[in-house]
Amino acid sequence: MAKKGSKNTATNPPTSYSFTKEQLKEIEALKAKYPEVQAVTLPVLWIAQDSFGHVNPDVQALVAKTLDLPESHVHGVAEFYTQYFKEPKGKHVLDVCTCLSCGLSGGVDIVRHLEKKLGINVGETTADGQFTLQEAECLGACGYAPMMQITNDVYVNHLTPEKVDKVLDQLISGSTPDFESIAMPLVDSTHTTKRGGSNE
Amino acid sequence: MAEIVIDGKSYSFEGKPKLLDFILSKDKEVPFFCYHPSMSAPANCRMCMVKVGQYVKNRDTGEYELDEHGERQIRWFPKLQTSCNMDMMDDMIVHTHETDNLVKRAHKDTLEMILINHPLDCPICDQAGECPLQIQTYKYGPEGSRFEVKKQHKPKHVQLGPRVTLDAERCINCTRCTRFTDEISQSHQLTITRRGDKNHPTTAPGTVFDDPYSMNTIDLCPVGALTSTDFRFKARVWEMNQTPGLDITNGKGVNVDLWTRDNLVLRITPRHNPHVNDYWMTDKGRDAIQLYNENRLSTPSLRLHPKDKDLVMTSWDNTLQTIQEIVESTDSKQILSLGSPYASVEENAAWAHFSQTILKQKPSYTAHVEKGAGDGFLLVDDQAPNTAGCDLLGLKKRTKAALKKAVSESQVIFSLHDDYIERGWITKEDLKGKTWIYFGTNLTQIANAATLTVPITCAAEHTASYINVDQRIQRTYPAKETKYTNRRLDLEMSEGRLDRFGTKFDHWVNEDNKIDCKPLWEIVSDLFSLWGQTITYRHGRDVLESLNQTITALDGITYQAMDDHRGVLLSTSEPQEAST
Repeated sequence: MAKKGSKNTATNPPTSYSFTKEQLKEIEALKAKYPEVQAVTLPVLWIAQDSFGHVNPDVQALVAKTLDLPESHVHGVAEFYTQYFKEPKGKHVLDVCTCLSCGLSGGVDIVRHLEKKLGINVGETTADGQFTLQEAECLGACGYAPMMQITNDVYVNHLTPEKVDKVLDQLISGSTPDFESIAMPLVDSTHTTKRGGSNE
Repeated sequence: MAEIVIDGKSYSFEGKPKLLDFILSKDKEVPFFCYHPSMSAPANCRMCMVKVGQYVKNRDTGEYELDEHGERQIRWFPKLQTSCNMDMMDDMIVHTHETDNLVKRAHKDTLEMILINHPLDCPICDQAGECPLQIQTYKYGPEGSRFEVKKQHKPKHVQLGPRVTLDAERCINCTRCTRFTDEISQSHQLTITRRGDKNHPTTAPGTVFDDPYSMNTIDLCPVGALTSTDFRFKARVWEMNQTPGLDITNGKGVNVDLWTRDNLVLRITPRHNPHVNDYWMTDKGRDAIQLYNENRLSTPSLRLHPKDKDLVMTSWDNTLQTIQEIVESTDSKQILSLGSPYASVEENAAWAHFSQTILKQKPSYTAHVEKGAGDGFLLVDDQAPNTAGCDLLGLKKRTKAALKKAVSESQVIFSLHDDYIERGWITKEDLKGKTWIYFGTNLTQIANAATLTVPITCAAEHTASYINVDQRIQRTYPAKETKYTNRRLDLEMSEGRLDRFGTKFDHWVNEDNKIDCKPLWEIVSDLFSLWGQTITYRHGRDVLESLNQTITALDGITYQAMDDHRGVLLSTSEPQEAST
């Protein structure tokens, strides 16, 4: 994967954005669920991101117009959450955790490996628009460190360079990595009895 | 009647006041940043912490539970509470920092937290000297910072709008500015962007903070994050004199403070008046500094020959005598006398007195109302500050056509402080061949076209009253010296440190910027004496006192009453309004 560059992403973003009729219907249904329109901002931003791939200022303006809310409010909400992409990103966004637990168990090495493999730096998007590489703060999966999240969705745990390569191939071929059920080591019940003891 | 104990002293209260509001109303102090009495209380600065508890009552008997010493038992809330959004309840017991070390510690730690990324640029910050963060850090803050890491850097000198500049590093995210645009001006132009230590207020991308009330956010900002683009770095707060005044740019009569140094009005800020403007004012009202400082008429000027391009300066004596000659050589039917809604009650009354006695006619005036200019808040259709005053004095209101006709039919026109040419009511051509005597403050188009210009004091230079669109009479104070007044001798004028201790020989004080002008009532008194009449108005008060007797609505209205009640609502049946 050759040239890097976060600005010149592959797909040209459409100059004007609009919701489809079905989406507008969905938004109306959402509005009925909440006592105030303000609360619908989050789900509608999700609808927007799912359909446009990002919520740049133009999309934020569309959301504001659709919900009849101040643009500044939608902007503030979109800016608050890192999960909303304020600029066009790659098809797959790789959020590699480099926080404490993951960092100690090799999360940074995974980032370096991905950088080399994809030919981009952290925060950039590959020239073909397939991948964006990002560092993430703790995603709450310290037990399976190091880990990464793919496009605000599935977690891939216990990362190794080999596993990362496999995941990339999977993503390119169009499938998503499967959900891995990882059993937490359960505390031995005999152990508890010894310590607490009073239950029995 | 419910009872509450604050710092060991019991108070009774009614309803459900908020705790912070109540404590402040008892002349006690609780530090705060984000709370504002006219806006919602999100409690996000965490500064107004107090310890709150309640007396324990036996559920069956309703009796107070007592401890082993026979004292009432108190059930404290598990954590300290923010007093700004705390509803008061009966039997509540409150400890502020005065009596509780935990609260003291909370204030200290909150301030340390707020100051982690706050730049230490007080020496160059506009807010210094009137900065709640600065004051409260001195009072309640930690002695130093434990943070040795580099501070978070954020955008500086961001031009949020035409009048407001943001320094995001100074911001403590109290959200007062965003709440102001949401709740008060309702333009919804500001929001807080990003989060954690990177957040700061901003506008939506591609939009400009051009709210007609935008500059109120500068006064609201408890730090120097939002500053006035015009006033930035112009003066330190403690170098200026703060004088109460009125907004003369429209008919609402917004109460303001004029901040002066070296006889220049450097900025105008709103003054709290719950009956008129609450804590707010329009951005347009702040532009009045230009009216007060720039392009002023100074020293009377005369056009020696009608064809002369320029007016030449003349003496006050010559001015008065010229007026006398003109009046005596003209048939009084050829004279038109005009009052002005831009001039105060006193000026119009003194002029009307002269006009009726000597010119044998009651002055007329023209209202300046722009339909649709009002917004139902502080902007009103009436563009002049004293239209109601002219009506009260019984001046005849002329329409545009009537004014044009009256001007064309007269030879000599006396007019007061109102630019008919700029308004487009008459043209320069209409003044051709006329003798136009203009009493005004600024070198406006009509002053340029006049035959004789007589400089009079502006609202920042005299004590005079104005009646707003709601019939409220309010008064101004002298904030600037003229050539003939002296700050140290005029006890109505405020004196700042520089006035008291500076001299014209040091570089702190500048004696320039004094305008050669007189109050209109003094000029009128001088004119009266030329006609051999001894009517002396030395002060606006003299004029008002004479009005007390002649106009029933003004009976008993004094400057003292206006000061005591923040202006007095005039009404024919009930002249005195109940106190606030």
